[in-house]
Amino acid sequence: MTLTGRTGLLAALGAVVLVIVPSWWTLLAVDGVLAALVVADLVLAGNVRRLRLHRSGDTNVRLGEEATVALIVENPGPRPLRARLRDAWPPSAGSSPRTVTVTIPPGERRRVETRLVPTRRGDRAAVAVTFRSYGPLGLAARQLNRAAPWTVRVLPAFPSRRHLPAKLARLRELTGQHVALIRGQGTEFDSLREYVDGDDVRSIDWRATARRADVVVRTWRPERDRRIYLVLDTGRTAAGRVGDIPRLDCSMDAALLLGALASRAGDRVDLLAYDRRVRARVEGAARTEVLTAMVRAMAPLEPELIEADAAGMVSALLSRVRQRCLVVLLTDLNTTAIEEGLLPLLPQLTAKHLVVVAAVSDPRVTEMAAARGDSAALYDAAAAERARADRRRVTVELRKYGVEVVDAPPDEIAPALADAYLSLKAAGRL
Amino acid sequence: MTAVQAPPGEPATAGQVARRRWRRSRGILVAVLALLVLGVLLALMRPRTGSETLDPDSPGQDGARALVEITRRHGTPVTVAHTASDAAERLRSQPDAVLVVVRSERLVAADLTALRGAPGDRLLVTPSSETLSALAPGVEASGSAWSTPAPGCTLPAAAYAGDADFLGATTYKAPGEATTCYFDGLGGAGLVQLPMGGATVTVLGSSRLLTNQHLAENGNAALAMNLIEGRAGVVWLLPDLPAPGSGGHKSFSELLPFGVKLAVLQIVIAVVLVALWRSRRLGPVVVEPLPVVVRSAEAVEGRARLYRSRRATDRAAEALRAGALERLTALLGMPRSAASDPAMAAEIVAAVAAHTGQEQAVVGAALYGPPPVDDAGLVSLAGVLDDLERLVRNS
Repeated sequence: MTLTGRTGLLAALGAVVLVIVPSWWTLLAVDGVLAALVVADLVLAGNVRRLRLHRSGDTNVRLGEEATVALIVENPGPRPLRARLRDAWPPSAGSSPRTVTVTIPPGERRRVETRLVPTRRGDRAAVAVTFRSYGPLGLAARQLNRAAPWTVRVLPAFPSRRHLPAKLARLRELTGQHVALIRGQGTEFDSLREYVDGDDVRSIDWRATARRADVVVRTWRPERDRRIYLVLDTGRTAAGRVGDIPRLDCSMDAALLLGALASRAGDRVDLLAYDRRVRARVEGAARTEVLTAMVRAMAPLEPELIEADAAGMVSALLSRVRQRCLVVLLTDLNTTAIEEGLLPLLPQLTAKHLVVVAAVSDPRVTEMAAARGDSAALYDAAAAERARADRRRVTVELRKYGVEVVDAPPDEIAPALADAYLSLKAAGRL
Repeated sequence: MTAVQAPPGEPATAGQVARRRWRRSRGILVAVLALLVLGVLLALMRPRTGSETLDPDSPGQDGARALVEITRRHGTPVTVAHTASDAAERLRSQPDAVLVVVRSERLVAADLTALRGAPGDRLLVTPSSETLSALAPGVEASGSAWSTPAPGCTLPAAAYAGDADFLGATTYKAPGEATTCYFDGLGGAGLVQLPMGGATVTVLGSSRLLTNQHLAENGNAALAMNLIEGRAGVVWLLPDLPAPGSGGHKSFSELLPFGVKLAVLQIVIAVVLVALWRSRRLGPVVVEPLPVVVRSAEAVEGRARLYRSRRATDRAAEALRAGALERLTALLGMPRSAASDPAMAAEIVAAVAAHTGQEQAVVGAALYGPPPVDDAGLVSLAGVLDDLERLVRNS
């Protein structure tokens, strides 16, 4: 139970009565009447325990967008319910309004909508619905928490999807929607067909022509059905914030753009998120559903503040992959993490697979490197130059193993990685 | 026309904000207003006491000269005393006289003792609680009369007088042996007469009916005359203000009326109730694990601060030169490894000098010279490196 401001106000007004009629009996009468009214109000307040609660609404929302979750409250009791209601969500779910006043006559139902504007990725579960049911006098209320479970999954924002049409156009340019006649890099044998005027005579298949009456040419098509393995590093280096968002979120964005592009290009896309154990894995998803599957798998991922286990990651990867594939490792070019963790294991990977390392660089470092003026700014610039030199050294060492390195600031990493993929595809290196 | 809908919970216009505030606060405002009106009404109904109230020599509205003059004309001598000891002395000299005590709040403990020892009847007009307990033990103030009550008793003085002006008068509770008149309906009486030893003590709750202004109304004059006439004389005690400090020490709580103490207790109860109301949360506190906020550039910034605190001009210069060399060799189309290769130093210096038109010695000192010894040297070195880079880029 709980009281209201009116109770206190009435008690304060009782003081005036006591000044006029000063006696212990008056005190007893004033407070007795007040207590009786409070008890009567409690008895007459609508029953919360018997309310029936239902939920409906959105279960998925992209980060930065708005979801609406409705709560339907049904009052089967004989008394009307006049209540203050709070649908409690975690703070990062960004729910509003905080409280709602509902009046539900007996036997009726009311719908209460809560808008959610989440501020972080992940699953957001409704905590409880609290009812404060007031009596007819508004002096006291019964209060009770009721469970009304509902979970909204906040998906990555995927802001780089605006780059997708441009990259798809490049892909189409690259491969052509129609079969190519010229055998070249990045193509594979498609079919035989009859020669028509204008075809390149070099593409005539003499053996097939000999078997048939017509001249037959070979056609080629771009490589398809390659396998792309996206590996997200969720270790400590992914936790650092670049601008205002964690590096992991930038990596996810790049991975999603690449995944969307590659699945349209006819390649198979798999995803692995790893730090010291497998955090998420998407394998063998159908081409049309791979993006949805990836987004759902990424939603609850949070960077862990532990050093990633490169050896574990490589073995988790190699145990699942038989054929040659493109391994895209989304991590940071952190000197110690790469030199001690990944470099010794690279030969295992590069022996069979093509490896791309994509890293988000920090614009703050670039800004510091350009700082001039007083000595403090120059020390900043020197430290930034030093960090960039370390990064360059790691890049050079990785390239020695035949690893492609994409190092770009957060707003450019996704298109840069997509471009790297497209040029690898054009070069037929998949 | 489509109106822009404000999201629920957020008011759209100043008018809505004002309306919402008014809705929220109107209950409290009405209560405060009601208290204010009540306070003003109570203050208006209270009998005013001025300097001349019930002064037997005053012809003003609140004075009592009319009553005293009428009494004198009816043959009863009235003497006016201004101190309690004076009054006691006069009473001792004429024991049949009646003592009329007005403005008794001016009497201190010593005065009350003096009066208690004096013989004769007493008429206490709206006595203070001390006076009441000293001169009319057993009688207690109980409340106020809200109407003009009928006498409703057998006391001849009241019965003959009929209705009198008791509106707003103090009423009293009296012990069983006392005669009570003018009831307020709640068990209190505006007029109490009780026998004490051989004499009678009369307590009158209204001073209004004795004043010049109201004496002629209702049965006021009759009641007043009945109460004080028929004696050998009247001693009218209008005490002077007691000398400062003569009243004895009284604590604050003793000075407070009982009703105020009860009201304070009630307000404490109200505060507790309000605290209970405010302390109850609407639902649980929701906790959630928050992600760690680590800025990615923190390590770099830390290194910069370390350089600065140690004045590490040599290391800073080395880093700046390495960066500049990296960019210069790239601009000059040299192999990537040239920047970090000491064997290529002479070649790089020559190429940079050729592109910029600077002397080789200057370029060499900037790119490979001894590190600067102080901050000023570092600043100038950075300036030279930036100039070289710009010149090469523009050449």
